[in-house]
Amino acid sequence: MPFLDEIEAAIPGLRAYARALLRDREAADDLVQDTLETALARQGQWRGDGALRGWLARILLNRFRDGLRRRRPTAVLALVPDLSDLPAARKADDRLALAEVHAAMGQLPEDQRAALLLVALEGMSLAEAARALGCAEGTLASRLGRARATLRQLTERGPVSQRPGKAGE
Amino acid sequence: MMPQDPTISREEALRLRHGSAADRSRLSALATGDAALAEELAGWDRQDAALQALYTPVADEPLPERLLETVRATRRAPVVGAGGTGWRIAAAVALIALGFVAGWGGARLVPSGAPPMLAQAAMASYATYAVEVTHPVEVGADDEAHLVQWLSKRLGAPIRPPDLASEGFTLIGGRLLPGDTAPAALLMYEDELGRRLALYITRSETAERELAFAEEPGRQAFWWVDDGLGCALSGDLPRETLRRLAVAAYHGLTEA
Repeated sequence: MPFLDEIEAAIPGLRAYARALLRDREAADDLVQDTLETALARQGQWRGDGALRGWLARILLNRFRDGLRRRRPTAVLALVPDLSDLPAARKADDRLALAEVHAAMGQLPEDQRAALLLVALEGMSLAEAARALGCAEGTLASRLGRARATLRQLTERGPVSQRPGKAGE
Repeated sequence: MMPQDPTISREEALRLRHGSAADRSRLSALATGDAALAEELAGWDRQDAALQALYTPVADEPLPERLLETVRATRRAPVVGAGGTGWRIAAAVALIALGFVAGWGGARLVPSGAPPMLAQAAMASYATYAVEVTHPVEVGADDEAHLVQWLSKRLGAPIRPPDLASEGFTLIGGRLLPGDTAPAALLMYEDELGRRLALYITRSETAERELAFAEEPGRQAFWWVDDGLGCALSGDLPRETLRRLAVAAYHGLTEA
């Protein structure tokens, strides 16, 4: 597939990742646009080896971190996820559970959220995700461990007998 | 391997889970002899399923025109480094006919129960975008011709931003939003005090509807359906002021 077609085909996935990361439609699309512009400007650097999405993810995460450094503190919006697109068959308690997960994701530090979404949403391997984040695999593994443990604490009431001992990990 | 093989660390489990197929089968094998690990893995599966259910639908949303334009602009002029601003240059020739208030006969308040979809969408858009300092709109009023052409094309109906200057509000721009069944346009206005108004417009097949009021904490809307367009003006203003603005917007939209 020609480079530009591949870039275009990657946009929906980038939007989903950016939305989950930034939790704001506009800010996420700004980040995607920034990513696309950077990628298009650097297409000479794309050597066509490996997955384009990894390269794009790396650009997106760099732009994201640049943005974090620049960002001013602003009023926090009520970040209620738009659950209206969920299949209608989903039960109300499923929606509630998802809303809880969305809220809990907002509690994670940004680097943990970015890492967890790479493997959970993008389906990257730990090695791919570490390359995209530009960190060591060991660093990423412990970051993921913290992210999953926190998420679990915040969302799962879980089997009571098995809860103790998990939280402090 | 002994069934009571000491459990691997959670980090090692994560490496295996997000590793090769062989890594994953090794992890499954380990979990059969380690109930705590198995339970942890099931929890991770639930997390991943929830995150996918939450965020993959974003990928199915209609793509914002500006993102597609970023790529298309490069296709048209594949100069390295030129990406991203091409859409601003895209020829925009639509002319704007601003509406003028011509007297309002039909406006009256209709009792409203739960806010209808249209009013809800408008109030949600207002709540989301009116507070935006840096990106309240996607295309600014300084590029109004392009804005009008773009929104009209995407809605499939001519959209003319009504002139609300008589009420002290000027257009600052607009954006495209996913609507219930079709794309929706959002036009944002601002007055000298920095108060903002969001005019939400989408195609509507429902019967014509006269001006009706809806409110939620911190925001209100007047909405109506006329000539195939469902419209709602949302803001946080005194009700009578908002009603006057809605009447002006109605005339601007329908009688231009």
